[in-house]
Amino acid sequence: MNEDEKSMFEGDLQDRVITKYHSDLGVTHTHTVKLPGFTTQSGYELREIEVSYQTLGKLTPNKDNVVLVCHALSGDAHLAGLNPKTGRPGWWDFHVGPGKSIDTNKFYVICSNVLGGCSGTTGPASINPDTGKPYATEFPPITIRDMVRTQALLLNHLGIKKIFSVVGGSMGGMQGLVWAIDYPEMVHSCIPIATCMAHTAMQIAFNEIGRQAIMTDPNWCGGYYYDKNCRPEHGLAVARMIGHVTYLSEYAMHKKFGRNLQRPPQPEDLFPEFFSVESYLQHQGESFVKRFDPNSYLYITKALDRFELLENRPAKEVLKNVKARFLVISFESDWLYPPSQSRELVKHLKRCNISTTYINLDTPYGHDSFLIKNPEFSRALSNFLNAEYKYITNNTNDNH
Amino acid sequence: MRKNLYDTVIEWIPEGSKVLDLGTGDGEFLERLIVSRKAKGEGVEINPDLVTKCIERGLVVHQGDILDGLDQYGNGAFDYILLLGTMQELIDPQRVINEAFRVGKYVIVSYSNFAHLRARLQMMFSGKAPVTSSLPCPWYKTPNLHFCSILDFMDFCNDIGAKIIKSAYFKKSGQVKFLPNIFAEYAVSMIEKA
Repeated sequence: MNEDEKSMFEGDLQDRVITKYHSDLGVTHTHTVKLPGFTTQSGYELREIEVSYQTLGKLTPNKDNVVLVCHALSGDAHLAGLNPKTGRPGWWDFHVGPGKSIDTNKFYVICSNVLGGCSGTTGPASINPDTGKPYATEFPPITIRDMVRTQALLLNHLGIKKIFSVVGGSMGGMQGLVWAIDYPEMVHSCIPIATCMAHTAMQIAFNEIGRQAIMTDPNWCGGYYYDKNCRPEHGLAVARMIGHVTYLSEYAMHKKFGRNLQRPPQPEDLFPEFFSVESYLQHQGESFVKRFDPNSYLYITKALDRFELLENRPAKEVLKNVKARFLVISFESDWLYPPSQSRELVKHLKRCNISTTYINLDTPYGHDSFLIKNPEFSRALSNFLNAEYKYITNNTNDNH
Repeated sequence: MRKNLYDTVIEWIPEGSKVLDLGTGDGEFLERLIVSRKAKGEGVEINPDLVTKCIERGLVVHQGDILDGLDQYGNGAFDYILLLGTMQELIDPQRVINEAFRVGKYVIVSYSNFAHLRARLQMMFSGKAPVTSSLPCPWYKTPNLHFCSILDFMDFCNDIGAKIIKSAYFKKSGQVKFLPNIFAEYAVSMIEKA
């Protein structure tokens, strides 16, 4: 196994054990801002919202270099660099930083925690101004569109009127698509990665198993567990374990763990074999529980499931105002968001005369292929961003 | 040696045309075409490394096989569809060309001439499948699934209801005007639906 392959196997940066990690960005910070709220798609009026975000790099004087990164289900605003509290790198430190695919020497990069999240942006654990208590399950059902609306309020607050590129994988890709449709004049380019136009029954099914794990945990208490000493941690851990398996591939798991045993049998063991993959999943679950709110998991997975880009309207009508130029990326080994879903998206975009480049990468590490160190992916991403940036800086009278 | 052929294709395409290049490789030719003819061009390429190179050039390219690439586009999306050097490697060239006529008005096809003099002589005197500069691989290694001559291609167009608008024939040293089916190593034709 060469160095690249080895680091691919170490997986993503979110929950893995990290002993030594160097980030070229050093320590980076997130900020939180209070903004006037809005009425969600479900018709609930959020009076005010808090948004946690991070910015990296410098904004050019004509503000033409904004890259907005949208995170996936378990991500947060801490995109890259080391977290001052935990010392852990941001979830996309492999791809964002000086000289990296999303080059912070060149681009002004913004990432914010999604609405409904639990890392600083308003979500079910936040205090409901009407009651003075956490929203819990009184939090309104949210949609991908509500998440995008929240980001638009943040950008407005930051004085940003143009997005050079909106980039995101999985749920982040859905947000990118909504950005291109809802704010066509703002978005120059869009990079949806390993995403889809709507979940299939199987994708909904996996999420539902996760939700049931949480909601059937006796500690869930209908969502009102914030003032109790216990949370549905077991349920959330199981939800994460299932989710995590769907993010990997058979190849990656077998190559990493095989049938290896974690340790010799212990007298107290019910079964003699304790496989490495079991230990790994348990670690993933336990680590996730420490940083994620179970109710957020319910709300966000439901937002994913109800997402439907076309909403039963003809694609030509939904996409008619889109001006963004697209790079759609999928991974051959991704069975959760398979390439066929990206191809469906590409076909709709191209048939609506939207400039779209599509690349399906051979990376064998499943859905998580965009979160790991992945040179092929890095190259595609940076080549597109650099070519597009050259294109807009050469066409100052940019008219598309 | 295909430089002459590519130059001819560029001459054939009017300025500002919409062009789809099937099997665009690293995008060098497509980029040249876009720049020199102010064309609006897109490409289809199956190899992800080459697609990444196209992206680096700022080209719009679709990763997939040729039929999948054509399927991405609506009827009449392009003026010209280019099928340079790959027709003989396709399982079903007839289907591809029919689909190309759905997406574009004209199709520009190039192919190697199997009835070139050197190939004929090799067959005649050695009794073996020919290996020449335009057909460089032995029979078991060639990517070509279909071998045809210039006359065969004319018959093929006739059979599938395509009309040849213009053709150019080449050998290593340049264009061939005299008895191309004997002296040309490769050919390019612009065709449209008859």
